[in-house]
Amino acid sequence: MEREAAELFEEFKELTASEFFRRNKQMLGFSGKIRSLTMVFHELITNSLDASEEAGILPEIKIDLKRLDKDHYILRHTDNGPGIPEDYITKVYSTMFAGSKFRNIQSRGQQGLGCSGCVLLSQMTTGKPAKVVSGYKDGDTLKGVEITFKMDVKKNKGLILDKKDVEVQSTGVSIELHFKDVSYSLSEQGAYEYIRRTMIGNPHAKITFRDPTGHKYIFNRAADFIPPLPKEVLPHPKGVTADDLIFMAKHTDKRRFRSLLTSNLSRMSTKRVNEIEAITGIDLNKRPKDMKWEEAEEIVETFAKMDFMAPPTSGLIPIGKEQIEKGIREILNPEFVATTTRKPKTFRGGVSFIIEAGVAYGGDSGRMVGEQKKAEIMRFANRVPLAFDQGSCAITEALKSVDWKRYGIRDMDNAPITIFVNIISTNVPYLSTGKQSVAPEPEILHEVRQATMKIARSMQKYIRAKKAAKEEALRAKVFENLVPVIIREAAVLAEKDVPEYDAVLAKVTRKAKYEGVVEDE
Amino acid sequence: MNKKDITVNKLKSLGDIILEDVEKNNVPAIKVPSRGTSNIVYDNEKRYYVLGDRYGKRSLGNVKQISKIAQMVYVANFCKDLVRRGKTATLREMYYVSEGWDVDFGDQQESNIVGEDLEVTLGMTREDLGLMPEEDGASVYGNITIQDDDVEINALRAGKSGYTISPTIDEVKFLDHDVERVIAVETMGMFHRMVQEDAYKKFNTLIVGLKGQAARATRRFLKRVNEELNLPVYIMNDGDPWGFHIAMVIISGSAKLAHVNHQLATPDAKFMGVTASDIINYDLPTDPLKDIDVLRLKELSKDPRYKDDAWQVEIKKMLKIGKKAEQQSFSKYGLEYVVETYLPEKLDAME
Repeated sequence: MEREAAELFEEFKELTASEFFRRNKQMLGFSGKIRSLTMVFHELITNSLDASEEAGILPEIKIDLKRLDKDHYILRHTDNGPGIPEDYITKVYSTMFAGSKFRNIQSRGQQGLGCSGCVLLSQMTTGKPAKVVSGYKDGDTLKGVEITFKMDVKKNKGLILDKKDVEVQSTGVSIELHFKDVSYSLSEQGAYEYIRRTMIGNPHAKITFRDPTGHKYIFNRAADFIPPLPKEVLPHPKGVTADDLIFMAKHTDKRRFRSLLTSNLSRMSTKRVNEIEAITGIDLNKRPKDMKWEEAEEIVETFAKMDFMAPPTSGLIPIGKEQIEKGIREILNPEFVATTTRKPKTFRGGVSFIIEAGVAYGGDSGRMVGEQKKAEIMRFANRVPLAFDQGSCAITEALKSVDWKRYGIRDMDNAPITIFVNIISTNVPYLSTGKQSVAPEPEILHEVRQATMKIARSMQKYIRAKKAAKEEALRAKVFENLVPVIIREAAVLAEKDVPEYDAVLAKVTRKAKYEGVVEDE
Repeated sequence: MNKKDITVNKLKSLGDIILEDVEKNNVPAIKVPSRGTSNIVYDNEKRYYVLGDRYGKRSLGNVKQISKIAQMVYVANFCKDLVRRGKTATLREMYYVSEGWDVDFGDQQESNIVGEDLEVTLGMTREDLGLMPEEDGASVYGNITIQDDDVEINALRAGKSGYTISPTIDEVKFLDHDVERVIAVETMGMFHRMVQEDAYKKFNTLIVGLKGQAARATRRFLKRVNEELNLPVYIMNDGDPWGFHIAMVIISGSAKLAHVNHQLATPDAKFMGVTASDIINYDLPTDPLKDIDVLRLKELSKDPRYKDDAWQVEIKKMLKIGKKAEQQSFSKYGLEYVVETYLPEKLDAME
């Protein structure tokens, strides 16, 4: 039976962003019980850290995870950030793609999906509403409001069930969510490990965490200053597409295309614009709105052929080697730690990035697997721990390509070490929407290798010195024990008196202490 | 000076070496002849393996060597005490005694090695030092009278299994005998066959049951009867590479004991059979050579101890026929055949 087109299109619907993600929650990273909960922690923690830092507040987060039933949890997450004004609360927590993070800036989150995603997951698995208490300053007065709401996925906005003013002690947001179909785990991918790693990447934060058994973990801050806020930087010519140019042309207030180029792109001088005009033959004095797609394409192709200065790096704020060391010392309590922050480099010609690395040896470094300590790799992007998709990540790939034997680590997999790598960039090249692994750009691989090899050399020195000291002590002890025994027994054998042997003992022990290894026959 | 005094003096001199260095404020060191394969050489003149002249130094200033020296000095004191008191101890007993010393042996293997170090350093056998192997030697049957301490033993009147060679064979005196030769056989089965068939009377011989690879005491016994009593020694083993080699170790010594081969090897002893030629000539029941037999035969053909023509011919012949035969396979022709036919024919040919 034939059907008419109109009839067929009766079923054609428009999905809101919320509805789309309701059907595709794995695209928000919510796949698997352990991973889902870790992703919730990730979204809430990064949001709180970003909010506090932007407001110039040293972040302090309290997380309370209660278990009601087999896989039914209640999560209460509280921060000390600036809070959210009443009118924005449902926008932040119920509208997908709403947020302040769509700029060319180094930041933890990027898409404006995070918080609303958590609310969505909560609602999908339990049907229960979310409850938010927000304390914020309105002029000089501290206001407090408690809102209970659901998410209307069809309309992509919040549905307020209850709202009342409450008294609060300070600014900050507290959100309470119910979850089912999630699981709290101490594994490498679990929520606890996520917090621990967050602390290493963010030594200026304080997190208190009460786990489902009631145990309270307090992660104190190791550094007392708020990292400077990253600045927005103009895109580099080599990093833009024709579509980007058309988008800029539509939204600009410049009258001419040439002034649009110089004001919206970095490293773009009048001289450069003239060169482009000469090469392409396009009249750049025309109004931006008259720019055609083909022309934009031609300009981008010309960018690719030209030499530009590397993009400005003022927008990149690394954690810094001292801060990383503090974080590692606080959390891993290692015998030895070495850290490094590399100079900014670029990949794909126009995106700048910085690699930071640290290595910790001994103490709580490494992961206990059964009875055995295994090496662990902690990957970070813009201070955020990457917990999943380790195998495909550029950081893992680069670390695997290092010949650890050359640095005194004979069996890398089973060494008591933790390796920390953080990539800082305005556009971290993630491999997928889950944002859990970094694309293996050649420049990134190279930088990670250089960084780790540098700190591995320091570690090797430490391990060597430690081993030598231990052997020396052992050796000296052997001599002190055995020389008197041998001389006494030799005297018994020869049936003579024991001679004075202090000089000989001094000779051999000194030899052990200062000449190092004595060659065997 | 008797042997006991020589041994005690040699042991004391080891202590002196150390004390002298100490008195001169030098770091004491002991020279220990090297027992590595590169220092074990076949002496064509003597016809057995000897140690070359390379040696290693054990220095008190070396962390690995110092514990070896400590162990050695303790073992030397232990041995001196044994020799003085006219006692012997097994290596295992010494290992347990060492529990009370200020230096550890990791395991018995380590204490055995230190025992060997002392042997090579002093140029004495462990039997000289009072250290006895665990196992007894072979059985001897025939008209020989020996004195062990104050007991006289005649090996014809010690039961059907004969006199068992004691680990302390060096202390034994040969008093009297009326035999003309010695025939050593690999298995006790053949030993008893020869006793039952009165072979000792027929051939005027001592019968020695080796029980497989000859123990040190057995080899020492064979060397002594060969050299002190001038008796020719014949060896009859299974006709396979392993039987060949049991004979060869008696004749030319082993590489492992190169440092004491001058006291153990009997270069004039002769291999009687079973040879590959015997297998063919007597049409003996056989087994096919296994891969490992073939491998071993090829090894033997390259061994300097087997370089003379007779051996080379027999090894090649066995490889060619691809067969081996046990010494008891002569019973195909009746139990008495080996004594009535084979032995007389072989002795005729060899003497």
